[in-house]
Amino acid sequence: MIVLMLVIPVTAAGVLALARGRVATAVHALATLLMLTSGLTVAARALRGVEATAFGGVLRVDALSGWMIGVIVLVAGLAAAEAPRYAHGSGQRMFYALFHLMVFTMLLAVSTDDVGVMWVAVEGTTLASVFLVNFERSRASLEAAYKYLLICSVGIAIAFVGTVLIYYAEAVRQQGVVEHAAQGLRWTTLLALAPALSPRVLQPAFVFLVIGYGTKAGLAPMHTWLPDAHSEAPAPVSALMSGVLLSVGAYAILRFKPIVDAAAGPLFAARILIVLGVLSLAVAAAFLWNPGNYKRMLAYSSVEHIGLVGLGLGFGGVLGVSGALLHVANHGLAKSVVFLLAGRIRAVYGTVELSGVQGLLRALPVTGRGFLLGVLALMGLPPFGLFTSEVMIFAAGFGAGHVWAPAAGLVLLVIAFGGLLRAAHAMLFGPPPHVAPTASGLSAVPMAAALAALVLIGLAWPPGLAAALELATRAIVR
Amino acid sequence: MTAITNLLAFFALGVTLVLVWRQSWRGRVRLFVVQSILLGVLAAAVGGLARRPALVLVAAIFLLVKTWLIPRVLMRMAAGAPLRPVRPGRSSGIPVLVAGGLVVIAYVIMLPVSTLPAAALPTHGAMPLAFAMALIGLFICVTGRDALGQVTGFLVFENAIFALGVVATYGMPGLVEAGVFLEVLVVVLLMEGVVVQMRREHDSLDVDRLQELRG
Repeated sequence: MIVLMLVIPVTAAGVLALARGRVATAVHALATLLMLTSGLTVAARALRGVEATAFGGVLRVDALSGWMIGVIVLVAGLAAAEAPRYAHGSGQRMFYALFHLMVFTMLLAVSTDDVGVMWVAVEGTTLASVFLVNFERSRASLEAAYKYLLICSVGIAIAFVGTVLIYYAEAVRQQGVVEHAAQGLRWTTLLALAPALSPRVLQPAFVFLVIGYGTKAGLAPMHTWLPDAHSEAPAPVSALMSGVLLSVGAYAILRFKPIVDAAAGPLFAARILIVLGVLSLAVAAAFLWNPGNYKRMLAYSSVEHIGLVGLGLGFGGVLGVSGALLHVANHGLAKSVVFLLAGRIRAVYGTVELSGVQGLLRALPVTGRGFLLGVLALMGLPPFGLFTSEVMIFAAGFGAGHVWAPAAGLVLLVIAFGGLLRAAHAMLFGPPPHVAPTASGLSAVPMAAALAALVLIGLAWPPGLAAALELATRAIVR
Repeated sequence: MTAITNLLAFFALGVTLVLVWRQSWRGRVRLFVVQSILLGVLAAAVGGLARRPALVLVAAIFLLVKTWLIPRVLMRMAAGAPLRPVRPGRSSGIPVLVAGGLVVIAYVIMLPVSTLPAAALPTHGAMPLAFAMALIGLFICVTGRDALGQVTGFLVFENAIFALGVVATYGMPGLVEAGVFLEVLVVVLLMEGVVVQMRREHDSLDVDRLQELRG
């Protein structure tokens, strides 16, 4: 089943590289449905505690992988529903093919047990999405794509240094002779060996891994590529990048954390993640007060939320990690909806400048209301799920005896909240321009469902969610 | 084995320092090729002496990719770029000095890692050297004023990480090495695409002209 889940998007990418016109759209729709079915099946099995492996253990889906797969396919489904608005003309084949290739690389990154293969897959996400960022082929999108490719390639190469050092540590354990344990780059092997690994090697290794995968995750100060790439890419790609690609980077860090904790003590990794988390919140809060461009605003809001995820992982414990995982899911749903709606707003208003958008609620009632709800969710207001996960993260922080980090985080969160509110207010109210509403009610159904799910998570957890989250967390926290 | 790995890594580091000093684009590509040959031979030597046939194969692929395929793409990218693309007369003194400092930093970071009491690998002396090359590559990449310079820096960096992998682990698993080669090749090809479009749009590869997106 895991293999099937991975084969579907690759095959789709291959076919879509050749198909055109309506055939391509039909294949795209079919591939999306198959991806959703297979992904959710794999995720559901894993989240009930059934571990699955394939290819002699190279692919391994535990509850944590299942959680990530669930988030990835849901967000990809949302983005895929909007993709036909953007994929037309000469770029259609490339758009659909790379879209599914990107989904494949993300699914591979979270469903492999081999940290080397995970590295290759995460690098693959960059390569698959570079052309999508430069899809409009304007000067600005070219610049964004160039920065994205260069910064993320360098970043991920730094993560490779960390991976090399981990592999080195695993061999060094064996008295001076390079004799690697069988399957020494498997996460399960490394976790079992971790208490015997040298902290002198694992500490620098973790620093390299955090810099590298943190670049992909968009943690400050490695976030510099993010606002450009996320604001220049077409909306479905922005939704995928912001909604799940960042979380895949965070997932990679999360996988290494228990190994480093076992080898070097729990404080080392926690401190780094907490500092980067607070820094990300600070960078985002500062920018959100003067955004200028609403897609950049959403991109910086992603830096804010990935900072919160970093804090949750840093505070650790069952509560902190489950809070971070729940936040990944909540943010994925909310941010992708808002990015997709921002794409519709741009199509109608013809600009991404905040100053050019006014009276959204009256001009585009459906899109405007959805945007309002999505932004409220991103601000972390109840009854949306992000409120719940933020409460969990900060409760974990205070509960673990940290005072300054969660306190600073809360203050920065309020500042970011104010900035986002101000910008959204200016967009939503005011005199509407003369535009013809284009969105039909039907096409808003997937996004409405995502918002409804967020409310559900915020008010009362659907049956099974608590158990699933607990299992996913237990894959990392013993 | 210690002598030969130390010597090859040391020469490669020397070539990297010359690369910092050189400003002509073609000169830099040639030095990159020399560095790649030295590191490919290093990998083959480690593979031969430690009896790892897989590593010898990886070294052969490395040589093919780094001394033939990638330089071809680089030369194609450079076609039309002025030989000395950046600010004529800019002194190379300070960058070389910084690169020297980076070598010291590399030793400070890598010595505790490479000299674990329980495990003196025969190749451990080359680890700080490879790491120093990585830092210098990063430095070239960060300070590169045009796209070609930044790509060279990235490639030097990537070469050094390959060397670090060889001397620290005697080669990563085959699946990972294959992935790495594929990725480097795709990165360079994507870069070429971006550079071609950049030249068309801006009539220059000077990254200072990329400043539409701020904030």
